This record gives sequence, C-alpha cells and structure tokens, in this order.
Amino acid sequence: MMRVRNIEQNGSPRRLYAVMACMGVAFLVLAGTLFRLQVARVSQFESRQKNQSLRRVRLPGIRGKIYDRNGLCLADNRPTYSIALFPEEIRCSGAFSKTVDRALEVMNEVTEITGLAPVLSRVDIRKHIDFYRPYPLVLWRDISAETMARLAEQGGDIPSVDIYTQATRNYPYSPDTSHIIGYVGRADPATDEKTKYSYYLPEMGGRAGLEKLFDPFLRGEAGAKLLQVDVGIYRHGELARRPPKRGGDLRLTLDMEVQWLAQEALEGYRGAVVVLDPNNGDVLAMLSAPGFDANLFVPYITTRNWKMFSEDSGKPLFNRAAAGLYPPGSTFKPLVGLAAATADPAAPRKVYNCPGSFQVGKRTFHDWNPRGHGKVNMRKALEESANTYFFKTALSCGWRPIVEQARAVGLGKKTGVEVGYEEGGLVPDDQWKRSDGRGGWSAGDTCNLAIGQGFLEVTPIQMAMVTATIANGGWLYRPRLVQAYCPPEGETFIDNPSRRVGKMAWPADALRAVRGGMHDVVMGHNGTGKRAAVEGLVFAGKTGTAEYGRKSEGRKHTWMIAFAPFDEPQYAIAFLIEDGASGGMTVAPRMKILMQGLYEKMKKEGRIRRTEDGGQRSEYFGNQYTHSLQSEIENLKLAIPNSSSITHQSSLSPGGAS
Amino acid sequence: MTSRIRQIDFAMLGAIAVLLVISFLFIYSAGYQTGEGEGSELLKKQIVWALIGLGCYAAAAAFDYRKIKPVHWWAYAASLLALLLVFFFPEKNNAHRWIPMPGFDLQPSEFAKLAVLFTVAAWLSNPSTDVQERKHFLIPFALVGIPFLLIAAEPDLGTAMILLPITIILLFCAGAPRRPLLILIGGGAAVLLLVILWLRFFPDSFPFLADYQKNRILVYLNITQDPLGAGWNKLQSQIAVGSGGWFGKGWLKGTQNILGFLPRTVAPTDFIYSVVAEETGFAGSTLLLGLYTLVVARCMRAAIRARDLFGRLLAAGIGALIFTHVFINIAMTVGLMPITGLPLPLMSYGGSFMVSTMTALGLVQSVYLRRRV
Repeated sequence: MMRVRNIEQNGSPRRLYAVMACMGVAFLVLAGTLFRLQVARVSQFESRQKNQSLRRVRLPGIRGKIYDRNGLCLADNRPTYSIALFPEEIRCSGAFSKTVDRALEVMNEVTEITGLAPVLSRVDIRKHIDFYRPYPLVLWRDISAETMARLAEQGGDIPSVDIYTQATRNYPYSPDTSHIIGYVGRADPATDEKTKYSYYLPEMGGRAGLEKLFDPFLRGEAGAKLLQVDVGIYRHGELARRPPKRGGDLRLTLDMEVQWLAQEALEGYRGAVVVLDPNNGDVLAMLSAPGFDANLFVPYITTRNWKMFSEDSGKPLFNRAAAGLYPPGSTFKPLVGLAAATADPAAPRKVYNCPGSFQVGKRTFHDWNPRGHGKVNMRKALEESANTYFFKTALSCGWRPIVEQARAVGLGKKTGVEVGYEEGGLVPDDQWKRSDGRGGWSAGDTCNLAIGQGFLEVTPIQMAMVTATIANGGWLYRPRLVQAYCPPEGETFIDNPSRRVGKMAWPADALRAVRGGMHDVVMGHNGTGKRAAVEGLVFAGKTGTAEYGRKSEGRKHTWMIAFAPFDEPQYAIAFLIEDGASGGMTVAPRMKILMQGLYEKMKKEGRIRRTEDGGQRSEYFGNQYTHSLQSEIENLKLAIPNSSSITHQSSLSPGGAS
Repeated sequence: MTSRIRQIDFAMLGAIAVLLVISFLFIYSAGYQTGEGEGSELLKKQIVWALIGLGCYAAAAAFDYRKIKPVHWWAYAASLLALLLVFFFPEKNNAHRWIPMPGFDLQPSEFAKLAVLFTVAAWLSNPSTDVQERKHFLIPFALVGIPFLLIAAEPDLGTAMILLPITIILLFCAGAPRRPLLILIGGGAAVLLLVILWLRFFPDSFPFLADYQKNRILVYLNITQDPLGAGWNKLQSQIAVGSGGWFGKGWLKGTQNILGFLPRTVAPTDFIYSVVAEETGFAGSTLLLGLYTLVVARCMRAAIRARDLFGRLLAAGIGALIFTHVFINIAMTVGLMPITGLPLPLMSYGGSFMVSTMTALGLVQSVYLRRRV
C-alpha cells in the first residue's frame, strides 16, 4: 500500500506524459531535419556527393584516316600496347610516398621480367600519384609483342600491372609522305573543355601539313567516361561511357606510285618534285627532300630528334615543294615567250640574233653558251635556252606584260593547294622595287626577269602549275590535294571538285611555238634537256639554272619542268634540285628516271595510245600543230638560210617522232 | 506462466526484433565496402551478440525487477570497480575504455550506466527519500558524479555526459520540485554557452577538453570547417544522409560508405544511421526513427503502468537512456550536434552496448509484466 501511495504522491503520470511529449518533440525535430536534408536539399547533397566521388575523363576522338587516290592508307591509327600500373591496386594507407615506393617496387618487378629499363623516375610516379591517381600510370609505352608475351607469361602474379591499349597515329609511308601529311603531336584540349573534365587523355593535334590544316575535320569528337573514385581518389569503377566519335577521312589526289617514282628520282638530292595532272590540277606527287620520319613526332618528339632536325642544314622539316622560294631561271622563259606574244602577236615569229653576250646599259649579260646561238626564233630559243633572244623579246614588249602574265598564271601568290604552309613567292614590278627601296625599274631588271632571275621567286608547285597550264592549252586549275572526303561518322566519300580558276588568253601560235620549243628541249638534238629523253615517249620540258646568292660563289638552283605525253598531257612536272650544276646536267637525268617510270605506268594502265612503230601517234601534233610548225620552219629557213641546227626539226613530221 | 507470456508487450518486442534485423542488414552493408568479407565477419559477431542480448532480455524479463533493489549497491560498487580497472589495461585508440576479455573487449561504462540507473532509481524510490528536500535532491548527483568522473577520465566524455539528462529525467519523474530542476537546466545551458564563447574566442586557453574535443565543438558551431580534418565526419555524414533522397540508393549501394568517405572505422558503429539513411532515404530513416519512438514510448508506457515507484523510475530511466542515445546519435549524424562517440542502441556494431541495452529493455518488460492491473 505504501508503494501505491508513493506513486500517487510523488510521481504522478502527468510528469511522465510531459517527458514523453518532450521526447516526441525532440524526435520530430530530428524528423524535420531529416526531411530538410534528404528531401528539401537532396540535390545539393547529391551534387556534393558526386563532386567528391565522380571524375570525368575525356577520351580523345578517333582521328580520321588519310588515303591516297588508290586507297592506300597514308595516315592511320595503330594500336599500341603499354604496360600500365593501376594505382588503386597498390594503394598503401598513410602517406602517398608509401604508395609511390610500392609503385617503384612493382616497376622493378616488371623490369626483372621484361628486361625493360625503367623510363619513369620517382618524381614522375609521384606526380602521377598526386594528380592522376584514378588513372593508370603508363610505365612503358609501345612495347613489343615479345615483351607483351613475356609479361603475360610471367607477370600474372603482379595484379596491379596490365597491358593498356592506346591508339597512336601511324604513317606507314613516311618519310615519302611526311611533307604532305605532316604529323600530329600531343595536344591539350581547349581550355573550356578542361574545366568540364577532371582528367583528359593525351590527344593528338595536327602540327603540320594536312594533319594541321584539316585538324578540326580529322580530329573527331571527344567521348568521356565517368569514373567513380573512393575517398583516397583512387579509381573505384567506371559508371558510364560516351564513346568518342570518328573524325572525317580524306582521300588525296596523291598517287603513291608517282610519289615513289619522284622519290626514286630525287634520291640523294636536296630539292623538290611536284607532279600535277594538267587536266584538273590534281597533285599526283609532291615531294621535298631531304625528308623526315613523321612517326618520330608521335606521340611527342624527343629533344634529341628535335635537335637533330632543327640543326640539320638540309632542313628536312621544310616543305620545299610548296614553301621553298627559288628563282625559276630559264624555266620562266616559256612564260616570257607567251607574255610577249600576248602583248605583240608578231612576237612568236620574230627572229633575233643571239651572240654570247648582251649589253644593256653598262651591264653585260652573258649567255650560258659563250659562242651564242646565232639567229633563232622563239621555238629555237627555247630549245637552246638562248638568253639573248629573251632579253630582246622582253625589251621589245617591256616588263609589264611579263609581270601581268606571270601574275595571271598564278605566280606571286599562293596556289591554295591544301598544304599546311605555303609561300606565294614574288613577281617584282616597278612599284614593288621602289617600295623595297631599290630605286626604279631598269632595263637590266627586265633582262633579269626575261630569264627568270633577279627578284623573281617561285615555288616548285607554282612552276608545276605553270607547266600544267602550258600543257593543257591555258586552263588554270587550282592545285588540288584532297580528292574526296568522308565526313565525320560518315560512310561514303564526297567529291571535292577540282576548281578551274581561269583561262589564259594566249595566242594559239605563241602556245604552239612555246610548246614546240619545250618539245625540242627534250626531243631536239640541241635540246638542253635531252638527257631526260625516254625511249618511246614524246614529251616536252624546259630546263633552268638559276643563280642565287653572291655571284662569286656561283651557287645555282637547277630546274626542269616537263609535261608528258606531249600530245595529250597527263603529267605536268616541276623538278628542282638545290645547288646543282645545271638544269640539263643535274635535273634532266633525274627527270628521265621519273619519266621512265611514268611512261611504264601509263603503258601498264593503258593510258597511252601507240602507233604501229611503237611510238605515239600524235594527232594534235601531227595535224594542226605540225602544219604550223612546218610553216614556222619555213619561216626560219627563210630567215636563217644556212642553219643546220634546225634541220632535225623535219624529223618531227607525222609518224616520225623520235 | 502462459498468462505472463500473454501479458508481454509484443509491440516493443516486435520493434526490437525489427531493429535488430535492420541492424544486421546495415552492419553488413557498412562492412561490405572493404570487399574482404568484413561485412559478413562483423555481421556474424553482431548476430552472436544479439543472441546473447536476447538471452539477457529474456532473463531480465523473467527476473523480478524488484529483486534489484536489495543488491543495487553491489552493482554500483562493481561498476565503479570495473571503471577503475580499465586504467590498468593498455590504451586503445588513445583511451582506457575497455577491459580485454577472451574474444571481445568489455566496455564497463555501458554497464555502469545501468548500475547508476538502478542506484538512483532505488534511492529515489526509497520511502524515506523526500526529493523536496535539498539534501535528497542533491544526493542523486553525487551518486552519478563518481562514475561520471571516472568515465570522463577514460576519456569518454560523450558517455559520461549522457548520465546527466537521465538523472534529471529521473528526478523529474520522481516528483522533484520544478524550480531547482529548471535552475539546473538553465545553469547547464549557461555553462555550455560560456564554454562555447570561450572556445569561440580563446580556444587555446580552454582547459578540460582535448584538442579533438574542442575541434568537434568548433566544427559543430561552424566556426571552423576543416572539412579534411575534424569536420570530415560531420560533412561526410551529412552528405551521406542528404544524398539519400526519398528512398535512398538501395541496400549495399551507399556510395559514401562504399567509397570510404564515411570512414570505415565508424560506419558500422557510431555512423550506422548515416549508412541506413543513405541507402534507404527519408523513408527508411524515418521508419527507423518511428521504431525508436515506439520502443521509447513503450518504455514510458511501462513506467506509467508500473506497480511501484522503483519500477516506474527504472522503466522511465531506461526509456530516457534509449531516447538520449538515439537522439544524440541521430542529431550528430545529421549535423545537429557535435560529434560524440555515442552508439545507436540496437543498431551500432558493438557487443557490450548490445548486451546492456537488451538487458535494460528486458527489465522494462519485467516492469511491464508486473504492472498494476
């Protein structure tokens, strides 16, 4: 009874209810807080949770390929195998230096198995552990199949190490294609992308040539993967992946067979060769020598190699074909003849006496032949490369039409061919000379211009373009290197049409005289380029020997331009060799190698018409052209009665091609 | 006997059983992160402790709580002895909290809580005690003071502090005058404020507290964030709870736990509620809260219907004990209170606390079984 009274006296249930109520309120406060955290502010905590546990990794796009016109792959992506260490497998608790030590141990274990000398220093590993922990650390890049096999066989008990595949740009036909294709190098993504991703894989960015010019097209679209990291920022797993997209492909007009012929012809020399299709401006070959192995730039060039390239006096990285500036020398003469005829329709028929030297003002210009050439017409002058003829021609028509025609045919400005870097050259005139502080234009300048010397500067591709224009009768095409392209993620190639940019208004007889002269350069007995002649093939050309630098040094760039076959040209070529003896001596024999190959190729592909005697039947040459040639010869005979040097011309009559 | 069984508070027993099952699930989940079978290792141990706990529960329920009264001094003395003994064993985690036993470590402070509760309840329910008298009002504080100091010296300030609200609740339920209680609570709040202000402006000169304790308070007050140091657990626990959303990320899918942002040492113990909240969301965490409300409410119901004052105070004290643990633990998990190392009853991994909690709940059942009818 006592107890019962106790309860009623000392502790009424009211107080217990009050305590319960307080507890209830306290739990409601907790429930309210839970609601605020888990429902009202869920997005805030979710994003914080993601921020700390998710890492976006950028995956580089799949770079498009580059093919030649026959489908040969000139730039592709080769899988390379690297030995990678996965940091999350070797994590040690405590200071990161312990994990770094462990990484070094593992690296040494792998060294024992594979025999590969370590390439990473402790500092490199430390950097990776500090900044790229969720990402595999590449210990050795691009290992051989043998190493891979050895590691697979004996390295099974090293779970933290695995083979890691990466795509590496590969140029199977480098160095033959290096100047055209260019190369890629390791590139960082744009800064705005950097903020979007926590990590990005090294991406290849175009650094030179087509790789640079078409970089955004070839590059593809980056993908991404979402890594989940744990509290130590080690990789925990991959949550999602957006695969990278393929970039566009390019198909070039380049014909590797022609490119190889050019390579063979230029072997051992410093210079450039450009082969165009005169019918559409397609670049069939473009070679600059010495070349370089573009694969050395992938994924990055070593300091040693870079030093080797940059200190090489032969400048192997320089694309002479598109960016090399040279005086054209005598290869400019056909254009001078055409220009003179454009200004004065009578010019092709004019005959000038050409002694061994020629006085203009106080300057004496010497012909390459001290005995001179006697009385010659335009055709003959081209065959023998008679300087005085062109001095006189140029002086009679003045420098303006020559400059006009040179510019009209595309000299002095970039051709617009798809190369990474191109030079436009220089066609000098009075205004330029004055602005350059060299005083007014003189007759001597006109004479220099007439033989492609002086201030005139051209690139080999420009000369090939000039040659193509002469070969096709005056049609001007923009040289084209990209024949077709397959857009990113696309399936079919889309044609990149060749672009005809103009027509030269050259009088037909002047063209005939010039082409005839160029024919004789190769085919004639006195032709300066006859060393280039190929048995069975009728083609035309023009040699050039351009002096440069100080006169006393006597340094010469040597040229030959050519188009073949003569009647239906399929190839227009500019061939340059630096520091040669002369165009006829140095370049013509090399041109022969190239022409021989092209002739074989044309025969093999059935692209040449033959006559019964094995030679070509030249309809154009045989009907109209020879007809006028005959009359030209008649004219010449009248003018120079006892010229034995022109008798061989008659052998060019129909069917008698030599 | 069968009538006795029919009188058992099945609602509370059911709630306890559900809580234990949830505990098993999430201890497994919390240990799952290491991926080396630690989850199942922890789970096995916890099941063993729960079974022992259930045994103690049954024994305590069958045991007539009134028989405690004559022996409570012995229990009190034994717990003081055990609290002294811990200092003779080597430190673990920088504290003397455990007595190593074969297979497990005994944490005497968990049992001391109960012993203190018995003694205070017994003393207050003594017919000769008149809590209206100042002397009688102060004696419970003296009884609590000795174990308080011993536990605080371990150091385990969190566990020690829990004795204070329980004592106040017991006094209140025993009918102590309101004024001194209010003065006590007000004075406590004032002291707390003072401590906070001192810490806020002169943290280096503050005595009594270790640096880590000061840091916890400073972090709680948002004075220092130190998210990578002292503030880490609070921040990560909040992120875990907050990112759970309505229904959570699913069992074994709590990234905060799996990825180790919730430190793996505390995830199965003091921060088990974070794991539950992250994986089951608002739905699961409020369900858990509801189960605790049920358990505490049934304790209070047992107190209300108790046959005598001792039984009432015993049940109310145990209810207060459970409530205080639950409240402080969840409040710290959601960032409402500074981090204290208080486990969540029936949930957190740990043997001593499981056994002492189950025994205490068994005693509540015992009070209920012997209620007035």
